[in-house]
Amino acid sequence: MSALQKEVFNPIRINPETCVKCNLCDWICPGDLIYKEEDNRETLPVIRYPDECWYCGLCQSICPTNAITVVFPEQMVNNKTDVATLLGKVAE
Amino acid sequence: MDGVTDPKIGEFIRLDTDVLVIGGGVAGTMAAIPALEAGLKVVICEKGKILDHCGSIGCGVDHYLTVMDTGPEWDTPEFLLKHVPELTDGIVDMAVAGRVIREMPRIFRKIEAMGVDFKDRQTGDYYRLRSFGLPGTYHINFDGTDFKKHLGERVRKGKATVLMRTMVVQLLVKDNRAYGAIAFNFRSGEWTVIRAKAVVLAAGDVNRISQNASGLAFDSWHIPYNTGDAQAMGYHAGAALANMESVEATLTPKGFSCQGLNALVSLGAWFVNKAGERFMFKYDKKGENARRAVIADGVINEYLLGNGPIYLDCRHLPQDMLDRMEHTLQVDRYTLPAYYKQKGVNFREELVEVSVSELSIRRSGVYFRGSGLAVDTNGETAVEGLFAAGDCATVSGGISGAAVLGHIAGEGLVQRIRATPGALPEVDRKTLDEVRARAVAHLQQTDGLPWKEYEETTRQTVSDYVGVRRNEQGLRLALDTLHALARREPTLKADDLHGLMRVHEAKNIRMNAEIMATASLARQETRTGSSHFRMDYPQTDEVNWRKFVIVERGADGPVTRTLSTDQPLSAAFSRNNAAVAA
Repeated sequence: MSALQKEVFNPIRINPETCVKCNLCDWICPGDLIYKEEDNRETLPVIRYPDECWYCGLCQSICPTNAITVVFPEQMVNNKTDVATLLGKVAE
Repeated sequence: MDGVTDPKIGEFIRLDTDVLVIGGGVAGTMAAIPALEAGLKVVICEKGKILDHCGSIGCGVDHYLTVMDTGPEWDTPEFLLKHVPELTDGIVDMAVAGRVIREMPRIFRKIEAMGVDFKDRQTGDYYRLRSFGLPGTYHINFDGTDFKKHLGERVRKGKATVLMRTMVVQLLVKDNRAYGAIAFNFRSGEWTVIRAKAVVLAAGDVNRISQNASGLAFDSWHIPYNTGDAQAMGYHAGAALANMESVEATLTPKGFSCQGLNALVSLGAWFVNKAGERFMFKYDKKGENARRAVIADGVINEYLLGNGPIYLDCRHLPQDMLDRMEHTLQVDRYTLPAYYKQKGVNFREELVEVSVSELSIRRSGVYFRGSGLAVDTNGETAVEGLFAAGDCATVSGGISGAAVLGHIAGEGLVQRIRATPGALPEVDRKTLDEVRARAVAHLQQTDGLPWKEYEETTRQTVSDYVGVRRNEQGLRLALDTLHALARREPTLKADDLHGLMRVHEAKNIRMNAEIMATASLARQETRTGSSHFRMDYPQTDEVNWRKFVIVERGADGPVTRTLSTDQPLSAAFSRNNAAVAA
């Protein structure tokens, strides 16, 4: 289970300078990953479950101040997997 | 509560309604619309938070498959219907597919009247393309960024009650009649018991069920939050499922499982192997215009032959086509341009390495043969009052399939409710206490099994033995592992309410994997290439296997039986047989 114990990559980067703390990213995330305290214009959104991101970019698309950038991890950008390993084993 | 308490779990809220819709995607909202138009009260439960952006196409959609009845013969329902047996390799419920295809023009116009603009912004006309083996240019290429918004708006105007961030965990059924469900809100911890005269299952396909190139479970072609909840709950409630042996894969840029194959092939992209050979014609005379199942199968075979890597090749296309392709691709997946940018690849001028995606349970790469809950021509399952539509039902055709069957189910349940007077059963207190106690137990586990580890085992098992190379030994090995996982389910650990939602999803994924393995073991032939490839039965057997494999809940788990495809799946429903006997 070593893959599960690796440091979790956060793909959803929020610029604290430009974020207006409006809740839209929390509301639109289809995976329930982004948590923003309601009715508090002081606190930033928190990416609570970053390894459950679909990389859909809805948060980025709805952000009114373009404060969100979706960044892809190395294994997505420069993937080295041998596709044949995904095609199953032959049980004897 | 019998001494079982947890601060995260609140008391039950009770809600009575006419219609309960589970899943607020295209199928669910389209089912809600006829019910609202008939003046019925509708409750929708949805795991997302904004109805306008939830479901598979929350980000947008770039193609819509429809006949339009504009005059030429190919554009009529009867012409398309004539080709459905060959499109599905003969495994299809022609009665339901027939109703869906005949309703396509009407529902298309209804959606257009809701404000969805299907016309091309440049030409002002429909831009219709041919792809995936279809016998005509049935796919409208359009900017459907706002498609779902218009459906959400219609449902809100109809004053449906929408319970967001809400997961349904169990259906309420008495004497083979559905009368509601139990759900919880994974933000507030509130539990709701919803009693309804009819229930629609519209929670989509099954993802996170096999490994992909990136190794990231949530990097999936279709939305990873669709986890076979409807299929699993329907199964437990006594509904019949069919075509569950078939898996579906697509081609994706290697490392990012995203949508876009339709845009690529319909606009003229090629695939080449490491020798630079455009190989797809070896597998189908239509080349890259073959069915998705054939395209995926071709690439799988090339990899197994050692001809990988496989590349996407768009270099031969004219600039205006590349412009359209680039625009279309970002409608379906907003982040794809950013991905290519970060990767430093220009698909217009360079080859892009592709991978076979993870496997999912949906419609096995062919239109109109869905893998999921068997329905009749009104969208009703084997359980009376329980309807299903979209990618969780046995006739599935992408967005239009979801829209049309959703609408059919919505009209069907209006009829069902009007024909069935009488009060709803009282909810058994014991059932509620049991459901709640199970949830509390997951939250109170300290050394329990993490859902991620449990789910990873399911994925690896499916990839190894229930994927694209199956045999009896492998399937039995897989079932042993999946049964062992099931025995450990009571020990699954949820760290919080969100984790409790994921625990339920993980259980549903495992249940679907067990159903898939069971159905795969039953079908002793190969059908539609890698969608169901039995190495021990490598031929398609038209004499003995022009049949559906139906899966239902037995005393000790899933049991199978077969039904000739000469009959509709509803011929296997006991409620119909009872009606005939009466």
